[in-house]
Amino acid sequence: MVLDDLGSSLRGTLDSLRGKSRIDEEDVEEVVKEIQRSLLQADVDVSLVMALSDSIKERALEEEPPGGTTARDHVLRIVYEELVDLVGESTELPLEEQTIMLAGLQGSGKTTTAAKMAWWFSKKGLRPAVIQTDTFRPGAYEQAEQMCERAEVDFYGDPDEDDPVKIAREGLEATEDADVRIVDTAGRHALEADLIDEIEEIEATVQPDRSLLVLDAAIGQGAKDQAQQFEDSVGIDGVVITKLDGTAKGGGALTAVNETDSTIAFLGSGETVQDIERFEPDGFISRLLGMGDLKQLTERV
Amino acid sequence: KAKSAVRGRVVIEEEDLEDPLWELEMALLESDVEMSVAEAILDQIRTELVGQERKFTESTGDLVDEALRDALLSVIGVGQFDFDRRVTEAEKPLVIVFTGINGVGKTTSIAKLANYLDERGFSSVIANGDTYRAGANEQMREHAETLDTKLIAHEQGGDPAAVIYDAVEYAEANDVDVVLGDTAGRLHTSDDLMEQLAKIDRVVDPDMTLFVDEAVAGQDAVNRAREFDDAAEIDGAILTKADADSQGGAAISVAYVTGKPILFLGTGQGYDDLQRFDPEELVDDLLGLE
Ligand SMILES: Nc1nc2c(ncn2[C@@H]2O[C@H](COP(=O)(O)OP(=O)(O)OP(=O)(O)O)[C@@H](O)[C@H]2O)c(=O)[nH]1
Ligand SMILES: Nc1nc2c(ncn2[C@@H]2O[C@H](COP(=O)(O)OP(=O)(O)OP(=O)(O)O)[C@@H](O)[C@H]2O)c(=O)[nH]1
Ligand SMILES: [Mg+2]
Ligand SMILES: [Mg+2]
Repeated sequence: MVLDDLGSSLRGTLDSLRGKSRIDEEDVEEVVKEIQRSLLQADVDVSLVMALSDSIKERALEEEPPGGTTARDHVLRIVYEELVDLVGESTELPLEEQTIMLAGLQGSGKTTTAAKMAWWFSKKGLRPAVIQTDTFRPGAYEQAEQMCERAEVDFYGDPDEDDPVKIAREGLEATEDADVRIVDTAGRHALEADLIDEIEEIEATVQPDRSLLVLDAAIGQGAKDQAQQFEDSVGIDGVVITKLDGTAKGGGALTAVNETDSTIAFLGSGETVQDIERFEPDGFISRLLGMGDLKQLTERV
Repeated sequence: KAKSAVRGRVVIEEEDLEDPLWELEMALLESDVEMSVAEAILDQIRTELVGQERKFTESTGDLVDEALRDALLSVIGVGQFDFDRRVTEAEKPLVIVFTGINGVGKTTSIAKLANYLDERGFSSVIANGDTYRAGANEQMREHAETLDTKLIAHEQGGDPAAVIYDAVEYAEANDVDVVLGDTAGRLHTSDDLMEQLAKIDRVVDPDMTLFVDEAVAGQDAVNRAREFDDAAEIDGAILTKADADSQGGAAISVAYVTGKPILFLGTGQGYDDLQRFDPEELVDDLLGLE
C-alpha cells in the first residue's frame, strides 16, 4: 500500500498554530506555503493555486476571527470556504427525462462511466440507455455492450456504421423509451481539430441536456487547456472524476471546474458498474489537502 | 571576495539563487514534474552553484538555466539503450510484458510495437493477458487482424500468466521473434492486482518489462512508477499521449524514481504514432516552456 503522506506537513504547520489565538503575518505565510504545496501536489493548476493562496492570505490577515476561535481553526475555515466556493455543490441532476453526453481524453473512463451512470439512474428508478458513438477505438462497441449487460441497462450501438453522428441520431430514435439517454463518445484531446469538429457535430445532433467532461484523477497541468477546449466546443455542465481508487488527488478536476465554470457530478472509484458515487465537496476537499474530516473541524468554528 | 571582484568575478551566494530557483520550481511544476523530484533537481543545482564564481557579465539566471539543462538531461538520459539492437541481439523469442494503470495505452502501444517490429523484419505474437476488462479481447483481436499478427487469447476470467505462457510456447514452436504480453490495467493501490502482476512476472519471467504511462499524467506519476517497478521490475517505459501534451514532465518523474529509461513516446492513435524517445528533445521542450 502506498502511504498517504501528503498533507502531513500541512497538518503539522496547522498544529503549530493550535494554541495561538492571534495570528501574525509570518504564521499566515507559512500556512499558505503549505497549502500551496498540498494543492500543487494534488495537480491543481499553478496559477489557480497562486490566486487561491492570495485570497486565503488576505482573508486570514484581514478578517477578525470569531470569539474563542484559535488561529489554526480560523485559517482552516478560510481555506475550506475558499475551496468550497470554487468546487460548489454537486452538479444538479434532476431525476427526470434527459440526455447526457460524455466527453473527454482518450482512456479517461468515459465508457465505464456511461455504464456506471446508467446503473446509478436505474437504482433511482429511472430507465436509462447507453448509446455508444465511438466508431474509432477497436472493441469499443463490445466494451460498452458488455458493461451495459453488467449494469443491466439498455444499450444501443452499431458496429457496422462508421459515422458517429449517424449512430447518435439513430440511437436517440432507438432508445426513445428510455428516460435517461447517456451518449458515450470516442476519446479525443484538445489538439485534435478533426475530432473536436466531430464532437461538435455529435453535440449538435444529440442536443444533450448536459455534457459532462470525464477526467482521470491523475491528469496534470494539461487539465486547464483540455477543459477550456471542451468548454468552447460543446459546453461543459459538469465534471466526472475517475480512478479515485488510486493515489491521485484529482486536483485537475478543480482546475476544470474553474475553467468551465461548472461543478463536479460524479466520482468513479473502481472498474465495476457500482463503483460510482455522487460528488460530495467535503470528502473531495479533504482528499485534496490530504487531511481528514475537514468539515467537522470547521463546523466547530 | 575582494580579490575576485578585482578579477571581475563574483561569488554566487545562496540568496542569489532564491528567486531564479523559485521560478524554476514553478516552471517544473507547470510542466508536471513531480514536486519532490523537482526539489531534488533544484537542490542539486543549488549545491553545484553556491560558492562558485561567475563573471560580472554572466547573469546568475543564465548559469541556473545551464545547470538545469544538465541536471534534467542526467535524470532523463538515465540508462538509455538501443531497443532495436537489444531485439536483434536477444535470444529468441524475446518476451516483453507491458504493465501500467488503467487506460494509459498499453494495448494500443503493443499494437504499435507489433507494427514497429514488423517494419524492422521481426515477427511477433501478441498475448492478451487482459482477461478482465470488458471488450479487451475484441479490442486486441481487431488490432491483431488489422496488423496480421498472431494473437493468443483465452476466455474472459482466465489466468493472465497462462495466456502469456501459451504465447511463449507458440513463439518457440513457430520461430517467432518477439512475444508481446498485455496485462489488464490496474491501480497500484490494489494489493490483489499488484500481487497478480508480481505472479505474472515470476511465472513468465519476461526478458523485458515495459511500464506504460501517459504524458498527461501529473504528480501521481511517481507513485505508480515506483509501485509498478516494485511489483514487477521494469526495464523501461513508454510514455503515451505525448500528442495531447506539450509538457511531458511525467517523463522526468518516471525516469527519476525508477532510474530506468523512457524508450518510446506514443504520439497518436495510429499504428505509426510511436517514436523512439529522445532525451535532448524533451529537455529542450521543457526548457522552451518557461
Ligand atoms: N480503477 C479504476 N479504473 C477505472 C475507473 N474508471 C475507468 N477505469 C478503467 O480505465 C480504463 C479506461 O476506461 P474506459 O471507460 O475504456 O475509458 P474511455 O474514456 O472510454 O476510453 P476511450 O474510449 O479509449 O477514450 C479501463 O481499464 C477501465 O476499466 C475507475 O474509477 N477506477
Ligand atoms: N492521442 C493518443 N491516444 C492514445 C495513445 N495511445 C493510446 N491512446 C488511446 O488511449 C485509449 C486507451 O488506450 P488502450 O490501449 O486501450 O489503453 P490500456 O492501457 O490498454 O487500457 P486498459 O487495458 O483499459 O487499462 C484509446 O482510445 C487509445 O486509442 C497516444 O499515444 N495518443
Ligand atoms: Mg470509450
Ligand atoms: Mg488494455
